[in-house]
Amino acid sequence: MSEETVVKAENLTKVYRDFWGRQKVRALKALNLEIRRNEVFGLLGPNGSGKTTTMKLLLGLLHPTSGRALVFGREAADVTKNERIGYLPEESYLYRFLNAEETLDFYGRLFNMSGSERRRRTAELIELMGLGSAKRRQLREYSKGMTRRIGLAQALINDPELILLDEPTTGLDPIGTRRMKDLILKLKHEHEEDPKKRPKTIVMCSHLLADVQDVCDRIGILHQGELKELGAVDSLLKVRDVTEFRVSGLSEAGREQVEDAIRAQNGELLSSGNPTTTLEELFLRVIEESEAHPGRRVHGGGSDNAKGGSGDGS
Amino acid sequence: MVVETPIVPFLTWLPWGILYWLFVVVCLSVAAMFIGLLVAAMEHGPVIAVKRTRRAIAAGVVDLIRLSPRRVWALTWLAVKESIRRRVVVVFAVFIVVLAFAGLFLDPGSPNPARLYLSFVLTATSYLILLLALFLSAFSLPLDIRSKTLHTVVTKPVRPSEIVLGRMLGFTIIGTGLLAVMALVSYAFVRQGLTHSHTLSAEDVRPIGLVEGDQPRFWEGRTSNERGHRHGMLADSAGNAITDVARGHWHEVTVNGSGPSARYEVGRPKGMLLARVPVYGKVRFRDPDGMDTKEGINVGDEWTYRGYVQGASPAALVWTFDDVNEKDFPDGIPMEMTIGVFRTHKGKIERGVYGSVGIRNPVSGLMVEVEVFESKEFTTNKLMIPRKITRFASAQVVPQKIETGEGVKQTPEKPDAGLAQKREFDVYEDLVADGKVEIWVRCIEPGQYFGAAQADLYLRAADAPFWLNFIKGYFGIWLQMVLVVGFGVMFSTFLSGAVAMIATLGALVGGFFSEFMSQLARGQLQGGGPLEAFYRLVTQNNLMSDLEGGVWVNVIQMADSVMQSGLWVISSVLPAFGRFSYAEYVAYGFDVSLELVLMRFVNALAFLLPVFVAAHFFLKTREVAR
Repeated sequence: MSEETVVKAENLTKVYRDFWGRQKVRALKALNLEIRRNEVFGLLGPNGSGKTTTMKLLLGLLHPTSGRALVFGREAADVTKNERIGYLPEESYLYRFLNAEETLDFYGRLFNMSGSERRRRTAELIELMGLGSAKRRQLREYSKGMTRRIGLAQALINDPELILLDEPTTGLDPIGTRRMKDLILKLKHEHEEDPKKRPKTIVMCSHLLADVQDVCDRIGILHQGELKELGAVDSLLKVRDVTEFRVSGLSEAGREQVEDAIRAQNGELLSSGNPTTTLEELFLRVIEESEAHPGRRVHGGGSDNAKGGSGDGS
Repeated sequence: MVVETPIVPFLTWLPWGILYWLFVVVCLSVAAMFIGLLVAAMEHGPVIAVKRTRRAIAAGVVDLIRLSPRRVWALTWLAVKESIRRRVVVVFAVFIVVLAFAGLFLDPGSPNPARLYLSFVLTATSYLILLLALFLSAFSLPLDIRSKTLHTVVTKPVRPSEIVLGRMLGFTIIGTGLLAVMALVSYAFVRQGLTHSHTLSAEDVRPIGLVEGDQPRFWEGRTSNERGHRHGMLADSAGNAITDVARGHWHEVTVNGSGPSARYEVGRPKGMLLARVPVYGKVRFRDPDGMDTKEGINVGDEWTYRGYVQGASPAALVWTFDDVNEKDFPDGIPMEMTIGVFRTHKGKIERGVYGSVGIRNPVSGLMVEVEVFESKEFTTNKLMIPRKITRFASAQVVPQKIETGEGVKQTPEKPDAGLAQKREFDVYEDLVADGKVEIWVRCIEPGQYFGAAQADLYLRAADAPFWLNFIKGYFGIWLQMVLVVGFGVMFSTFLSGAVAMIATLGALVGGFFSEFMSQLARGQLQGGGPLEAFYRLVTQNNLMSDLEGGVWVNVIQMADSVMQSGLWVISSVLPAFGRFSYAEYVAYGFDVSLELVLMRFVNALAFLLPVFVAAHFFLKTREVAR
């Protein structure tokens, strides 16, 4: 596993069994996946597609039935890998009888951080999350948005290199959602702005496709436990049989000739080139095709026309 | 009776205890490994199973060794905080309510109020604390797993051993705090409940003794009746006055003035709360032929703890004591004994059976019979052998006779009868040899028997402070609480809250019967195992009769031996909870020896260590997110 690969799944399979060992559901089928350093990776899929199972397997919360999950080159069951991980669960599963300061101090202790370091990080994160006025209030009194923010703060307490976010924007209002997305992008670009800071890799799963489109570099789409699509967001959303030109430096004469040609057709040219479809359309198409042909992988991210296409699939 | 099991010194017990512990731990570890391997082999095949088992054990050992104190403390603090949030202080409120009601119903006029009060507070505290420990420990982890708060914890670099240890320590800290407060309140409650006074006026007092001038030498009187008893009072002409002992206590009396105008103030009760320090010896028996035997006569009791000796014969119960010295016993040898009586004829039933007490030098064989006493079943006789023995029933040289392969060995070989000719004996000069002395108890009535075991006669050294003994009593409850916490946390690592609570409760109840189970497993009880017992019940065979041989009987006995092995395992892994309680010692006024405290502490550790390791492996191998 190279230095650049942060997460690697090799034929990762999870079968849930009942008390008697009988197979209940095959939640994940031979997933092969690599997530590279300093990228924002989105895991998409409908309910029951296996994305949360994947995340739990990467965190060691579940044990694989077969295959391997490696994080920083270590087995997912190895707790020492967690020193470099931050995890925000779907719901902020926090101790609601603690206040914000106590919460962050508690999780800081779990990372074996010294007292002074814990105090510094706690103050920084409370400031960053805008929870200064509520830092002494028990979490039970927090609103949904505040709970998500303190949840994210605990995920960042150790300045992690890999951040796993399970539905980070669920339940947030548009402003909260915007702040969360800005924060994700800020974390991604932190290293570029300040090389002293460690590059961060972010893995998120979400139902909110627009959010994923806004922040993710690459995505994987899971359906019925199988990886149906994987690739860069830009590449997957590209419509390849339509060409779009965005021209600069074209001579006046040349521009006039093109415009004349369009005018000759009674048209008004605004721009030309490949239009993109939305992530939502791509997602629905992949799911539709997967249901029509179970067990077959949907190849290609780009589409031949506005209604369909194929991605690079790599 | 407080002590009814043989007393083994700590240092004698420890090596055997460790060996037995190692044996059980190794057996259980091998069995657990085998089961783990089997399950993994069924799921993944033998090769992967071996790899996984090896990896799990290696990782488990690393987890157990590399504990981070900071993480453990964080998880401990969380458990304490969580317990407080779950309103554990309610238990204290319940305790106060129980005490308030007890204050109304406990009868301070009972024959032994101190025993009543102490038994009550110790029992009430232990029930409440054990219940609290049971609920806290059994429900905490399952609740965390159900609410998924544990997901946020286990995705940090936290080892399962740290989660388990943090929980155990947290609940122990909260229980300890609560227990300490309960102990303080109980102490005050007992002191307050037992305190009383009597009134004594000049009219109740009369002069006695020779008159010096116009003043009598002594005054005697009777106090008022309080809590069902009175005391006699004796005062000298100098104004020093005390009461006699009634209901196990006495009072100091202050006299102001003299003669008919004197005013008497009776102080607080003294000697109610005791911590007697018994010094135990080794017991042996002497048969009617004067030969030494290790066991006494079995008078038909199923329980063979006590051995009996025949009356009106040379048979005797003999205790040998070591380290008897002038420093510990300057005024003579005080002793207390509870001698069992077995009557072969009714005799005079309204009185006890007479016996004699003698003191013997184990080297010279000189024996002085100092006292005749009346033994009533389960009544403790107190006796003081004075430093200078001037009044005695008989003095003679009695050699010890032991049957050996080469004939009868006699000690001393050549008894010196001249030693018994003296009219006065000094305990340390004549009867104690190198700190060793023997106490002989004989039954002097024909046809009757005396029975005793090691702990039934002891020398009474200076009393230990009662408050310290009271703390030791609570230490016993604390050990029980820690064990319940340990088992509760262990079960909660793989069972749901309610089931973990039932399992812990089962371990608790089973632990109270573990000694019985152990005896049953070792075939020390009459009647065989469960199937044989059922067979005897159906076929109306009593426990003592031999069963007629046959295929079915053989099958039953073989099946029983398999079950007995299972019972042995269960009895070995469950702590005998009853043994950790010192309540009887405290209530009956006996000091809990440091040896016993150490023994039980090591005992508790011996259980907690494997429980902790098992809990760690259970949590490590389970899927937290399922």
